[in-house]
Amino acid sequence: MVAKPKVAIAWLGSCGGCDEAVVDLNEALLDVTNAVDVIFWPVALDFKYHHLEKMTDGDIVLSIINGHVRNSEQEEVAKLLRKKSKLVLSFGSCACFGGTPGMANFRTKEDIFNWVYRDAPTVVNPQGNYPQVKTKVDGKELTLPAFYEQVYALNQIIDVDYYLPGCPPPPDLIANAVNAVLQGKLPPKGSTLAPHKALCDSCKRNKTKPQKIAIKELKRIHEIEASPDICFLAQGVLCLGLATRDGCGAVCIETNIPCRGCFGPVEGVKDAGAKTIAALASMLDVHSDDEMEKAVNSIDDLAGYLYRFSLPVSTLKKRRV
Amino acid sequence: MSDFEPKLVCFSCRFGWGYLADQHALSAQIKNWIPIICSGKVDAIQVLDAFKHGADGVLILGCPAGECHYQDGNEESKKRVLLLQKLLDACGIEPARVRMEMSLDPEGKKIPGLVKNMTETIRKLGPVKMS
Ligand code: SF4
Ligand code: SF4
Repeated sequence: MVAKPKVAIAWLGSCGGCDEAVVDLNEALLDVTNAVDVIFWPVALDFKYHHLEKMTDGDIVLSIINGHVRNSEQEEVAKLLRKKSKLVLSFGSCACFGGTPGMANFRTKEDIFNWVYRDAPTVVNPQGNYPQVKTKVDGKELTLPAFYEQVYALNQIIDVDYYLPGCPPPPDLIANAVNAVLQGKLPPKGSTLAPHKALCDSCKRNKTKPQKIAIKELKRIHEIEASPDICFLAQGVLCLGLATRDGCGAVCIETNIPCRGCFGPVEGVKDAGAKTIAALASMLDVHSDDEMEKAVNSIDDLAGYLYRFSLPVSTLKKRRV
Repeated sequence: MSDFEPKLVCFSCRFGWGYLADQHALSAQIKNWIPIICSGKVDAIQVLDAFKHGADGVLILGCPAGECHYQDGNEESKKRVLLLQKLLDACGIEPARVRMEMSLDPEGKKIPGLVKNMTETIRKLGPVKMS
């Protein structure tokens, strides 16, 4: 019998949603597990890191890695899987761009530790304990992974072969990606296994988008009674569909929520936020200095809005001190 | 910090700034001067790229409001600068490192002064921290 191709599924800094998305393949998952040998999947199966270490380099055909990298354990697992795998698929927005946890880069590590272990109102920490990489307890040494200064996307730590964004990626694109690997029908290395165009192109509301959008002041979605059929931009709500890669199935738009950009920028664009600035500027129908400043200052947390999923891979990457 | 010499990039619209000047003489006075057709050409990503490649500040000189040779490239640029300043601020980069001036100066007499002025502002801020 020919050995089945070995596949690993790993979570790094992850919420579990990406693993859940694999489980959500439902019956299709049975086909996949019939065709491959899942040799590592911490969420679902009890395999240990040392099992991986013992494998021959390149023995795993495909490692599907989700989550961002922010500590030394995540980095070690990513590097170990890279060494043992022919192909690495960066799976989900956290792995591809840093994801929502990447917004932690707007704060320094010090700020985060001070808040979590000292300043948050719910914290009781009279001895001022902070996590240590090494601690002696009863003569024994306990260790913890080192927490890094910032969040990294997977390709900032290891070489990545393919990308599948989404928070989490949708079942059709997951199935396509896995089948493409199994059938050897893969696009050039470095490709994103999702459509190239922008979400607007497939959005049902696109036909209601006016030729010239004129917004005096942006509104947030909870501040208006949003129509379920009209383009959000025409309603004065910032929707990132115009600069975001298509492929999600417009699930947010369907539930009357504007696009927040989880699929990352469209093909060829590196910096989602900088790209959106040009579009946003042209939509703001303000002319005098006062009007401009008022409109710009009325936008809550613009940086967080534009880099909700992609700060670690943007040009600015993080907050400086 | 005393030996810090700020690197400034100055984009200026050819329609409003320095088109009557002796270009060679003027560019000898202003390092990294990039005359362009319409200040609206300058996109946020170009400003960020300038920082990435070592600029400590970016000055954009556009035509006065209502006098763009196209439609409103100068106003677009101004709005982008204001929006970009928000992103810079959130990432700990001083918004004053990007500035837009909207005026008319065919002989380009004001440009060296504006560049010098901004250079002094940036000298106080120190080198930009990009990494
Ligand atoms: S991409 Fe979304 S679903 Fe996947 S780990 Fe990150 S936050 Fe969770
Ligand atoms: S901006 Fe948003 S609502 Fe409008 S067409 Fe694009 S994706 Fe749809």
